[in-house]
Amino acid sequence: MNQPVLALNNIRKSFGGVVAIEDFSLTVHPGEIVALVGDNGAGKSTLIKIISGVHAPTSGSIVIEGESVAMSSATKAREHGIEVVYQDLALADQQSVYMNLFLGRELTRGPFGQLDRNTMVAETQRLVDELDVRIPSPHAAIRDLSGGQRQGIAIARATRWAKKLILLDEPTAALGVAETARVENIVASLKARNIGVLIISHSLDQVFRLSDRICVLRRGKQIGIRKTAETDKNEIVSMITGLEAA
Amino acid sequence: MKTTKLLISALLAATLLSPAAFAQTVGPNGESATPSSDVVLGDEDIAALAGKGYKAALLWHTSSDFINAVAAGANDEFARAGVDVVVTTDAGFDAAKQRSDIETALAAGPNVILSLPLDPVTSAEAFKEAVASGVELVFLSNLPAGYVHGTDYAAIVTDDLFQMGKQAADVLADAIGGEGQVGYIFHDAAYYVTNQRDRAFKTTIEADYPGIAIVAEQGISDPARAEELASAMLLQNPELDGIYVTWAEPADGVLAALRSAGNTTTKIVTLDLSEPIALDMVKGGNVAGIVADEAYELGRAMAAVGLKALLGQETPEFVVAPALTVTADSVAEGWQQSLHREAPESVLAAQ
Amino acid sequence: MATPDTASAAPSLLDRLTGANLQQYVVYVGFIAIFIFFAVVLRDSGFLTQRNLVNIILQTAPVTIMAIGLVFALSAGEIDLSIGSTVAVSALCAAMAMAAMPQVALPVGIAAGLGAGLAVGFVNGALVAWLRLPSFLVTLATMGLIAGVARSLTQLRSIPVTDPMFTGIFGSGAVFGIPSLVIWTIAAIAIGHFAFRQTRFGAHVLATGDNARAAMVTGIKVPRIRLAVFLISGAMAGLAGLLYSGRLQAAKYTLGETDLMTVIAAVIVGGTLLNGGKGSIIGALVGSLMMGMLNNGLILMGLSVSDQMIVRGLIILVAVAVSLRETAR
Repeated sequence: MNQPVLALNNIRKSFGGVVAIEDFSLTVHPGEIVALVGDNGAGKSTLIKIISGVHAPTSGSIVIEGESVAMSSATKAREHGIEVVYQDLALADQQSVYMNLFLGRELTRGPFGQLDRNTMVAETQRLVDELDVRIPSPHAAIRDLSGGQRQGIAIARATRWAKKLILLDEPTAALGVAETARVENIVASLKARNIGVLIISHSLDQVFRLSDRICVLRRGKQIGIRKTAETDKNEIVSMITGLEAA
Repeated sequence: MKTTKLLISALLAATLLSPAAFAQTVGPNGESATPSSDVVLGDEDIAALAGKGYKAALLWHTSSDFINAVAAGANDEFARAGVDVVVTTDAGFDAAKQRSDIETALAAGPNVILSLPLDPVTSAEAFKEAVASGVELVFLSNLPAGYVHGTDYAAIVTDDLFQMGKQAADVLADAIGGEGQVGYIFHDAAYYVTNQRDRAFKTTIEADYPGIAIVAEQGISDPARAEELASAMLLQNPELDGIYVTWAEPADGVLAALRSAGNTTTKIVTLDLSEPIALDMVKGGNVAGIVADEAYELGRAMAAVGLKALLGQETPEFVVAPALTVTADSVAEGWQQSLHREAPESVLAAQ
Repeated sequence: MATPDTASAAPSLLDRLTGANLQQYVVYVGFIAIFIFFAVVLRDSGFLTQRNLVNIILQTAPVTIMAIGLVFALSAGEIDLSIGSTVAVSALCAAMAMAAMPQVALPVGIAAGLGAGLAVGFVNGALVAWLRLPSFLVTLATMGLIAGVARSLTQLRSIPVTDPMFTGIFGSGAVFGIPSLVIWTIAAIAIGHFAFRQTRFGAHVLATGDNARAAMVTGIKVPRIRLAVFLISGAMAGLAGLLYSGRLQAAKYTLGETDLMTVIAAVIVGGTLLNGGKGSIIGALVGSLMMGMLNNGLILMGLSVSDQMIVRGLIILVAVAVSLRETAR
């Protein structure tokens, strides 16, 4: 079955009289990585907020696995199996890796609702091993980790909870070359988990390395969607900038 | 709330009218006063105390110039008798801290404790352990509720509070020529020392100086607010000839208010020696006089009466140290007599 | 717990070897060092007598209880400056309620004291959680406001507390020879430690203080957590008020007034961060005992009052500096 995990149909969003997103439609299938590209102010962050439930679209529908949903909050989006890896990662720096992985969704046991630290630590270890996020220990505090390790943890957390879709917002913007490569490997490995991935990135090289399809946004308008294998950078750049390719 | 306040003032007025409270200083429970000059350790007392290894603790309620002078008097007297002062504390006006201080001090095993109980209610429980352990207690100014002289404590020692208030009235009356309008800034809290002094001022003006009218009254509980209160008072009564201020710290604020109003004529009188107040006085400013207590003598008498109790002698239940009026001419002697040290240089230099 | 606690995690061997968690031991080392120092210097001055050591625990009980509340508030990234004045209001409310209804003194006293604390906590919490006013300013204002209420409640008079049940439970009583104040301290620490360390609530408090945005996007109800920590802080101040009024058998508007700085010092020395995300209840207990021991020992050394203050200030400065150094990297 190849039903899309996420389908956005004719999404429109305006703030007062200002139109931020005009008639946007996109599908993401399981095991597929779709990249969303566009210049600053093109409407990418508005779109992320719509998909993650922060903003409701002015019109249009969001369909998750064939079911039309109304997402009123980030909590609702999570309930529908959508996880977001924010650009700022949304990690609690003083807390341990395993507590961050289970932040807001801690496991408990016993009649007094004690934290089940053992299970959380074990699951964390299993997950970071699977994703090959190399950290000293699940007990390590986030502030003691490198940028790449933090990004890895943020992705691991999304992976732990996402049932349908992971939204990655500029996952490597703050990283060096080696760390970027490691994070890209982690992202690529998500395909095997049969969930959809929507990635936002400024780096076209990265987009071409990772994605199956590329969706271009300019000034709130959807310019087009291309299969990565059937396009090239020149075409994408001209779509982003609106200039004809030379 | 207003009615309670009225009720309290009515009760206060009633106490005022009782003849005992009218003319002289009486103890918290109406005890009659023994002058501190009657409480003296003789040579035979000193000899009897020698080599006993007695220890003393000084548990004050705050730190101040006044307490320093009292402590100096006590320390000197204890030293003369060969008694070690092993503990000194400051409760910072905190009843709970005072209780802790007492407990802590008892661990050092003192034979005499000199202390100012913060208030009769909270200190009753606080000093219980000290009473039970048989330490001789000498209280400054206040008495814990229900305590019995002889069995629970050795003596209360205090200033001649009535005299202080009365002398303040006399010096202010003198400064304004025996007639005019005065303002009255009193301590608005249930505190035995200031309450007695304030009342003595008021009753003296009312009874002895028919030409003087108290036209403005203002209670104060936070000395830091003295300036604004005084400014308001001066605004409403620009013709004030004199102002009584309950003690020196708020008097600083009152002086500041007078200065910022450009007022050089209204006379101030206040209680307790303080450098800025004395400086204004010797420079011929607004301050007409300061009434002080003999703090050093107070401390000496406290130590002496405690040691007498330790020797098993009869002790007077209520001892008072004399009051002292200090004017521009007598600052040097005044400082010496009250605090047992030189007046501040700035004050002497300005004379 | 085999390892000293902080809320983040049990330190791994690696962490321990690299000293990454050094700051959490500082309070214990400092406590033992000061204890040994006094034990040697004051061996003939009564410091080591059982009565004196018990006294230290009794004297610090209210501060310890307040410190528990402050650990929750600070860990959530908030501060509660109003705890000192809340103590006075709670004690006075309890004493006045008991005086008004002597037949049912115990229950009305407890209800009035804790109720006053919770009410203050609710006002603070509501202003911070829902109006998003900074807690420093909110509680700075309510601190003064409540101190004024405490003064006006009884026109500055002290109110005696005479109910023997009440003074027994909150003051001078004992169970099997263990003073009630010690029992209160142990119970509050045990419950506080469990809630802070072992429950989702505690984890959410830390997450909120650490990174409120992260907490929010992971579904933690941040405003509710903020309200809750102020309710806890208020309730703890209320309980401290009951303990003070039981111990002194009287309530007065000055109770607790000078405790705020001691409580803050105890909590910070105990390894709780001033700006949230990390805290320790056991550390706060040890910090509070350390403050009490310092007070006690310096008095027994026969120092003058000003010297006591200077030495105490210096020791607190060193302790705070050392315990913060590691986290300030």
